[in-house]
Amino acid sequence: MTTIIPATSAPVLELEHLDRRRAGRPAVQDLSLTLPRGQVLGLLGVNGAGKSTTLSMIAGALRPDRGSIKLNGVDFLEQPELARTWIGWLPERAPLWPELTVAEHLAAHGRLRGLRATALRAACTSIIERLELQPLARRLAGVLSQGQRQRLGLACALLHKPALLVLDEPANALDPVQVAALRTLIRGQAAAGTAVILSTHLLAEVTAICDRVVILHEGKLRHDGAVRANDHAALEKTFFEIAMNPRPARAA
Amino acid sequence: MSTLVVARLEWRRLLVRPLAWVLAAMTLAWLGWNFTLLLGSFLAGQIQRAALPDGPGFTDLVAVPLLGQLAQMAFLVVPLLTMSVLAGERRNGTLPLLFAAGVPASRIVLGKYLAILAWLLLWLLLTLSMPLALAHATHLDWGKLAAATLGLVLMLAALAALGVACSGFASHPAIAAAAALIVALALWSVNLGAQMAGVNGGAINWLAMSTHVQPLLRGLVSSADVLWFVLLIALSLALATRRLATEMEHG
Repeated sequence: MTTIIPATSAPVLELEHLDRRRAGRPAVQDLSLTLPRGQVLGLLGVNGAGKSTTLSMIAGALRPDRGSIKLNGVDFLEQPELARTWIGWLPERAPLWPELTVAEHLAAHGRLRGLRATALRAACTSIIERLELQPLARRLAGVLSQGQRQRLGLACALLHKPALLVLDEPANALDPVQVAALRTLIRGQAAAGTAVILSTHLLAEVTAICDRVVILHEGKLRHDGAVRANDHAALEKTFFEIAMNPRPARAA
Repeated sequence: MSTLVVARLEWRRLLVRPLAWVLAAMTLAWLGWNFTLLLGSFLAGQIQRAALPDGPGFTDLVAVPLLGQLAQMAFLVVPLLTMSVLAGERRNGTLPLLFAAGVPASRIVLGKYLAILAWLLLWLLLTLSMPLALAHATHLDWGKLAAATLGLVLMLAALAALGVACSGFASHPAIAAAAALIVALALWSVNLGAQMAGVNGGAINWLAMSTHVQPLLRGLVSSADVLWFVLLIALSLALATRRLATEMEHG
């Protein structure tokens, strides 16, 4: 199944004034940003900066307290079922049903995302080949290594060819070869028009594959700018300035 | 459609977990053994009963007591089956995957409930097949058996709904199982004190599950009893849905 995206000039994702409190404190405050088709956005921040909360809201797993989320110009909070076909989400630590096999996982995710019969079989076969999951297809998710779990989580996120791919620390537990393959895959998705949000702690990851970087600190957007290819030092300087400076600075 | 997708997913998870198979094997073996004992006792007393024109038959002495034993076992089996449906998902961190797929809380609850109910109905059917296998050789009171079966279906459906609700509120499957067992037993015997005091009516008796199951097992179908079960099922599933929706809202 190919995701049907309405012909619109609207960005794939528009966040407007998002607020969200968690455990009695503001986790995300007044967050606004847009993401066009084919762009890879790196989301950086120290632990507790609000990255995972932001991604959970974008993925539809958590409702914001205030603000709006638009997907291709359509209010996602009004029509949460849009997430079903338009968004692919890999949460942190790839949650899986331990009693299902890899193939069963893909089938279950496909059905949840609206794929049926022939389209489902074709999508599963394709993603298994693409992510080289053939040797694991009949293995239970509960016995997979962390890296294999991550690959399965990624396969589930990509299965239905989403318009927006939301990845929360996807390189966790992957070996260097798999990290390189992941980078190629993300760039390939972007080249095909998919918008990608990549949350990570690795600055090198951002400079290697992202077009743009957003830095969150204490739930607020503190930096939003283009990434200069492989200019690791500049990004590191900006990141540490924000992380070490408790006073909010104006977003670039 | 998403209800059926969730039901199918839950059914699959149920079938690959050893717990469901172990429970099915052990309980059916126990019920089979009891069926043999009940049948032996029925055959031994056949000559004495032949003298009674309206004496109890195969349905009263074998089929309904067997269903009564299944009802007793259900208090333990149903909480064990339902404990993981939502608490297990919460523990695995997989609930957000269902939320993110745009499945509303009501459909998640209903889908999981239907999967558990399908297992329980299959369990009941296999138990029923024991007396039904002798239908050609004995006289079955079909009306009484149908009423008792309806009673069991309603009771299993109510216990499953209670179990799903407890699983919706618990953080750990074991807590969900314990809570479902305690709530079900309390609901069964809430009128015990009143009955010991000789009170046979009133709200406290209406509240008790036993008040509504026993007439059905005796072959007496009343819409009031059916309504009691429907209300309990609706209330339990509504509570589970509300809890899940709140979780989705507040994280």
